[in-house]
Amino acid sequence: MAEHESSSSTVQTQKRARPQSTWERLLRYTVVRLVTLFITVVIGVYLTILIANMGGYVDEIRRSQIREQIAIRLQNDPAFRALPPEERQKRIDAEVAVEEKRLGLDKPFLVRSFNYLKHALTLDLGRSENMTSDSGSRQVRLILLERLPATLVLFGTSQIVLFALTLYIALYLSRHYGSWLDRLFVALSPLSSAPGWFYGIFLIIVFAAWLKILPFGGMVSVPPPENPIRYALDVAYHMILPMMAMTLSSIFISVYSWRTFFLIFSSEDYVEMAKAKGVHPRAIERRYILRPTLPTIITSFALGVIGVWMGAPIFETIFNWPGLGRVLFQAVQLFDTPVIVGATVIFAYLLALTVFLLDIIYAIVDPRVSVGGGQRA
Amino acid sequence: MSAQSSTSAQPVLKTEDLVLYFRTTKGVVQAVDHVDFELDEGRAVVVIGESGCGKTSFAKAVLRLLPRNVDTYTGRVYLDGEDIMELDDEEFRLRIRWAKMSLVPQAAMNALNPVLRVSDQVAEPLLIHDRQVTKEEAFERAREMFGYVGVPESFLHRYPFELSGGMRQRVAIAMALITRPRLIILDEPTSALDVLTQANIMNVLKKIKWETGTSYMLITHDVATSSELADDVAVMYAGQMVENSDAESFFSEPLHPYAKMLMAAVPKLRGDEELEFIPGQPPSLLNPPSGCRFADRCPFRFEKCDEDPPLFLVGDRKVKCWLFEKEAQGVYGTQPAVATGD
Repeated sequence: MAEHESSSSTVQTQKRARPQSTWERLLRYTVVRLVTLFITVVIGVYLTILIANMGGYVDEIRRSQIREQIAIRLQNDPAFRALPPEERQKRIDAEVAVEEKRLGLDKPFLVRSFNYLKHALTLDLGRSENMTSDSGSRQVRLILLERLPATLVLFGTSQIVLFALTLYIALYLSRHYGSWLDRLFVALSPLSSAPGWFYGIFLIIVFAAWLKILPFGGMVSVPPPENPIRYALDVAYHMILPMMAMTLSSIFISVYSWRTFFLIFSSEDYVEMAKAKGVHPRAIERRYILRPTLPTIITSFALGVIGVWMGAPIFETIFNWPGLGRVLFQAVQLFDTPVIVGATVIFAYLLALTVFLLDIIYAIVDPRVSVGGGQRA
Repeated sequence: MSAQSSTSAQPVLKTEDLVLYFRTTKGVVQAVDHVDFELDEGRAVVVIGESGCGKTSFAKAVLRLLPRNVDTYTGRVYLDGEDIMELDDEEFRLRIRWAKMSLVPQAAMNALNPVLRVSDQVAEPLLIHDRQVTKEEAFERAREMFGYVGVPESFLHRYPFELSGGMRQRVAIAMALITRPRLIILDEPTSALDVLTQANIMNVLKKIKWETGTSYMLITHDVATSSELADDVAVMYAGQMVENSDAESFFSEPLHPYAKMLMAAVPKLRGDEELEFIPGQPPSLLNPPSGCRFADRCPFRFEKCDEDPPLFLVGDRKVKCWLFEKEAQGVYGTQPAVATGD
C-alpha cells in the first residue's frame, strides 16, 4: 500500500508512522478479542454445567441411584439380611457415604460446579457416568473422538456440497429472475419448513422398505468390506439417503434466500455503473456482486460448518448413523453430565475459534472493516 | 454557437420515437413516450422537468440500462449516425458502453464499488475497451484524469469510503472521462452536494467541455445551476419532450406554456416578484390523457388541446404545443402525426 503514496512528502510521513501503529492496533485488537471470546466461552460452559446438572438436582438423582444400587447389592448378601434393621441402615449409610465421597458428591454442588468448569476449560473431560465408547473406554474424550469422523463425513460432505450447489443455483436464478425455474424454487421453499429427519422417514419408506434399492440406515454394511475403496463406496452408498433428506429440507429455502440476497445486491448503483461501463456480465457477477458480499457468504458458510460438527441428534438416530449427535442424544437420556459438558466445551471452543478467524478474514476481505476503532490517517 | 450549425452537422445523439414503458403491479407506466430529440456535437443539453417526468428513464433508454420490468422498449437511437438500437447486447457492450457514451450517475455516493480501490474502478473501462492498454498505462491515465477533475493523486489507491461526497462525485466524472467518450450523460451530478461543491463540479464540467469538446446531456431539476453550462435546453413533461431550444432563446423566452411556468418558478437574484407555481399535478403516467398532457394545468387551453400536438418547428426550436401551429415552419420528427394545417 505504501508504494503508491509517494506523491507528497506530508503523505509520506503520515504513511511511515502508520504501519507500526497498525500492527500495534492489530495486536491489541487480537488480545481484546481473544479475552472477550474466552469470557463468552466460560459463561457458556458454566451455564451448560448448571443446566446439565439441573442446578444440582441431578446430584439428588444420582444419590438416590447410589442408595438404591447399594441397598439392592446388600440385600443379596445373606450376612446383611441377618443384621437387625438399625444395623442394616447403618451399613447402607456407611457404604453410600464412601461411594459419594469417591464420586465427590459430599461437597456442595456450587463448589463442584467450579471444579467441573476448571476441568472442562482445560479440556480435562474426565470419565463418563455410565456410557462407554465403541472401543469400551469410559474416557469422555474417547467417547466423543471415536464418533467424530462419522459425523464429519456425513455432515461435512453434505454441508460443502449443499453450500456450493445453493450458491451456484442462487446466482443462476438471480440472473434468470422470473423464469419458470426461479418460480419453481420460490414455490417449493415451504418444503423447508419440515426438518431433515422428517423427509428421512419418507425416503426410508420409499427407497429402503418399498423399492429396496438403498439401505435403511447405518454407515457401512455388516460385515464391513475389507478393501478400503469398497469400504468408501459402501459408506457413500449409505450416505445417499441422509444427504437426500438434508438436501430436500434445506435447499429450496436457502436457494430462495440467497437468490433474493443476490438480487438485492445486483440492484446496487455500482452494479448498474459496471454495466454501463461495459464490464462483462461474468465479471460484474464476480467483482461487483460476489466480491462485496463475500463477508456474508463466508460467515454463513463458517456458521454452517460449526453447526455440522455437532451432528443432528434426531437425524442421526433416524438413519442409525453412528455419529456425535447420537452420543449426545444418549447422554441426555442417561443424565451423563460429563459427556454433555464435554461435547459442549469442545463446541464452545470451536465456535469461539471460528468467530475469531472470521474477524480476521473480515479484515482481509472487506476494506471497510478497519482494525481497532476505525480511525484512519 | 449559433443554432445555424445544427442543421448541417450530424448530431451526436438523435432519438426517434423512443419509447420505454415499465410494467408495474398497477399497470404500464409510460415513462418515456415517443421522444424525438437531437444533440449536436460539442454541445451541452440540459434536460429539465419536475421529478418523475421521465428524465432519468430517458437517459436509461439511451444508455440501454434497463430494469427488469421493461414492458416496451422501441424506437431509434442514433449515435454519430449509427442506429445503436440495432446492435445486440454484446456488441453494444463492447462498442458503445463507455467507449462512446458514459454516465455520471445520480447518486455517485453509491456508484463506486465499496470493496475495490478507486484506481481500479476508474481504470477499468479503459482496460475493457482498449485491448492495447496495459495496466500501468491505464493507471497513468486515471492519475491524469484525477488531476483533471481536481482530486489529489494520493487518493488514487484509496477505497471509496475514504473519500468525501464531493470527491466521489469527481471520481465518477474522472471515470466517465477516461475513455474520451463522444457523449457524457450526467444524471443530476450535483444534487446531493453542498452549494460550494456544486459550483466546483460545474466549473470542472465547463473546463472539460472547453478542453475536450465532449457533448453533454445534463439531467437536472436545478435550472439555476445548470444554466451556466447549457447550450441547449430540453424540457420534459409527463414522459414527453415538450420543448427543445437553444439556451439563449429559452432562458430569455421559453415557448411552451409549461416551460414558461417552470421558469417563472425559478428564483431570481434581483427582482421582488413572487415566485409562481403551477397549479395541479402532472398526470399519472399509468394512464395519461390522450390529448396534450399539460392541458389540464394550462392557462392557454383551447379545443385543439384534446388532440396530441406534434413537435412544431419554430425557427430552430421545437415545441409540442398547438399554440404554435400557426407560426410553425413544419413538424419535427416521426410523431404519430395528427395532420397539421390541411
